[in-house]
Amino acid sequence: MTTSTSTPSSTPAAAAPVTSAAGTGTAGTAGRPAAIELAGVSRWYGNVVAVNDVSMALNAGVTGLLGPNGAGKTTLLHMMAGFLPPSRGAVTVDGEPTWRNPGVYRKLGLVSEREAVHGFLTAYEFVLASARLHGLPDPAAAARRAIELVEMTPAQDRRIGTYSKGMRQRTRVAAALVHDPTVLLLDEPFNGMDPRQRMHMMTLLHSLGDAGRTILFSSHILEEVEQVSGTVQVMVAGRLAASGDFRSIRRLMTNRPHVFAVQSSDDRALAVALLRHDSVTGVDLPKGGGITVRAGDYGSFTRALPRIALTEGIRVHRLLPSDESLESVFSYLVEA
Amino acid sequence: MSTSDQLTAARGTGPTPAGPAVAGTTSNGAPGGVIHDIGYQRYTGARLGRRHVVGALYAHSLRTAFGLGRSAKAKIFPWFIVGVVVAAAAGLVAVRAQIGQVLLSYAQFADTMSWLVIFFVAVVAPELVSRDLGSGVLPLYFSRPLRLVDYPLAKFAALATAVFMLLGAPQLVMFLGGAFTTDAGWSGVWDEVTDLAPGLAYAVLWAGVFSAIGLAVASVTGKRAFAAGGIVAVFLMTTPIGGVLSVLPSVTANQLAGLVAPSSLVQGTGIWLFRDALITEAGTGLDTGGFGPLYGLVTVVLIAGCIAALIARYRKAARR
Amino acid sequence: MNSTVMWITARGLFGRRRFLLLLPLPVLVIALAVLCRWLGVAPGNWAQPVLIALGLAVVLPVVALIVGTGVLGSEIDDGTIVHVLSKPLPRWQIVLPKLVVAFGVTTLTVAVPLYVAGVLAESVRLGLALAAASAAGALAYSALFVALSLVTRRPVLLGLVYVLIWEGLLGNIVSGTQVLSVQQYVVTFADRMAATTLFDGQVSVTVSVIMTAVIAVLFTLLAIDRLRSFSVAGETS
Repeated sequence: MTTSTSTPSSTPAAAAPVTSAAGTGTAGTAGRPAAIELAGVSRWYGNVVAVNDVSMALNAGVTGLLGPNGAGKTTLLHMMAGFLPPSRGAVTVDGEPTWRNPGVYRKLGLVSEREAVHGFLTAYEFVLASARLHGLPDPAAAARRAIELVEMTPAQDRRIGTYSKGMRQRTRVAAALVHDPTVLLLDEPFNGMDPRQRMHMMTLLHSLGDAGRTILFSSHILEEVEQVSGTVQVMVAGRLAASGDFRSIRRLMTNRPHVFAVQSSDDRALAVALLRHDSVTGVDLPKGGGITVRAGDYGSFTRALPRIALTEGIRVHRLLPSDESLESVFSYLVEA
Repeated sequence: MSTSDQLTAARGTGPTPAGPAVAGTTSNGAPGGVIHDIGYQRYTGARLGRRHVVGALYAHSLRTAFGLGRSAKAKIFPWFIVGVVVAAAAGLVAVRAQIGQVLLSYAQFADTMSWLVIFFVAVVAPELVSRDLGSGVLPLYFSRPLRLVDYPLAKFAALATAVFMLLGAPQLVMFLGGAFTTDAGWSGVWDEVTDLAPGLAYAVLWAGVFSAIGLAVASVTGKRAFAAGGIVAVFLMTTPIGGVLSVLPSVTANQLAGLVAPSSLVQGTGIWLFRDALITEAGTGLDTGGFGPLYGLVTVVLIAGCIAALIARYRKAARR
Repeated sequence: MNSTVMWITARGLFGRRRFLLLLPLPVLVIALAVLCRWLGVAPGNWAQPVLIALGLAVVLPVVALIVGTGVLGSEIDDGTIVHVLSKPLPRWQIVLPKLVVAFGVTTLTVAVPLYVAGVLAESVRLGLALAAASAAGALAYSALFVALSLVTRRPVLLGLVYVLIWEGLLGNIVSGTQVLSVQQYVVTFADRMAATTLFDGQVSVTVSVIMTAVIAVLFTLLAIDRLRSFSVAGETS
């Protein structure tokens, strides 16, 4: 059962409605509510629409919420976290609404973007306070477990004010995990982290996701999302522009040309032969050899290329799709 | 094929949908790059000097003081106070037209409005000074042809002007009211002018002292709320001390009591300089004994000291 | 009463520099009282300026303002409120402990010097009356200023408007506003409990008791309700 996501119907680019591919679209299995569900959610401030009719259902696993600054990601996350009421629509976590419902925080953990922590507390005290406020039966043990999970045990007795940015971030993640939530929301968690810390955080998020938790994190940096998960929800200008595995999304945008870099034994002859084919919209011969092919229809081009090469007697050394990165997906969506 | 080279090499600066997006994947491995000519030029014309920079800072600060050029919320507090003082002045004019008697002289008016002036300074001084300190834009200021002393002095001049305008505008209203309703013709108008002049000079005194203190306190912190609270606290703390000193058994202590609080300090100096403008009935007003000149001296020292502290504060802040 | 919230709030208060602003005022009250007593000034002369004009009219509201806006307002300002809000705690369990801390710290900071000054002025009875009256005032002021921190983004400024303009300026000029001034209730309480000739309350005792209770309860409920609907703006601006 797949849910179709809202189409940016006014934009000229995506003519075909984008349907979600990989499993994050399932709106609950056998009657159980989805871990996070948004139904027709909109949020506006006067004349400014920050989030425009977004519907999605998220279940176990890691999902990336992607979009440029000002796309409404933080607004959406705040609504999921119960810090903002939707102007229209319903936001539910495990079937319960998030607004004005403190009980939902038993299942929800939030790591907000703002770096605000009580600087005068040590990491252990902070996480312990978090455990106590959750009313856990053994707060000290839970705090120690959470701190170990983020590998902050050696530094846990120093004041947070003395930490680096990455350490503070990890402390906040520990505080959000201390009560073992089923849903974890992170707003731009990799902000200001160095590559080693980022990798560690990614591994942690993946292990949590594999254990059955629903993890949603937001980012506007494509490299982060590419490496953590292939499942994204893309927001542009307040609307949900695409959902699912980003490579599939790319392929679905059939009217955007796919670009391939091909290296062969006879570039010019291959170029001429390719130009005869319907699916090819342009060929470039860059300095340094090889050809760059722009193809409208991914499927038919990839089937046609070996046939053409065989007929012409040309050997293809290398075939690379050169714009499958999230960046180009993004820029197409953004320019739409 | 040079055109296609350029297309291949350049990362699309405009919204070109097609074309390889990532320069790094060109098969020859050479990173491409082109700088496009979009008409950007360096400014080579005449640049105005330090005087204009300071003048611009002064004008901008003066506008900030009254919330001009900012959102509606920034205008509420200053214009509310302006409204109150002008309304009070208008009321006095009306009363004077009715019963023909002067309730408050120009200079005494300034004394009565002392709390409003304190409140005005407490609201405006943080806007002028704490905002820049707290948001870390001082390096932007000091990387212009602006000397270190120019910044605090320009701010002081702006705030003093604002306070002077706050006190001077109602005095002007009272003057116009008095001049138009006078029975004695031109000599009556001239009497009003001679009454107004010391009133305005007194307003200058108020402006100088309160602006200096307000800015000195506000420059300590980058948070506007603390600065406002601090300014109010300074004035609130000193007044009762003066009150206590004035009830001590020693006459000298009573006469010196006014030195402690800024409002009574200014009053004492005013009494020394323009006795008649302030003391309209015998036996009222602050008793300063023979210490008038001391009040004047302390006023000058206080203003100078606050400005020096302000400059020292900026010397320290700009170094960071 | 959630002790963790109280502990974090108390540590937050004492760990900041703004707390030092609290100290000069009570010290000043004691210093002036000692000075007057030592120099032999008649209490009738110095009680009004020191006990009322400085003590109850300035020190009490200003300390209550600094503490009351500090327990919640500073956390809202720097964003750490999110940590407390994202817990399955009913909102009153967050507001009440903070109020208790605010009330406690304010009362302690104000009642002690006023007690000392009262004893120096007249008698132990006056000292106790002043201390008790300032406790009642602290309750009302704390509720008022905590609610103000949730209602507006500049609670200190609005609190100053209330203290300076409403209670200070208007309260002295327009006698009608005295009925709505916490300062007047406090003075009335002190006057009633100490039965002193040094100063007089302007408002009746019944009105003072009722209004103090109403203010304390009303603004506490307002704060709880506002915290339930506390929303964070979208993008970081």
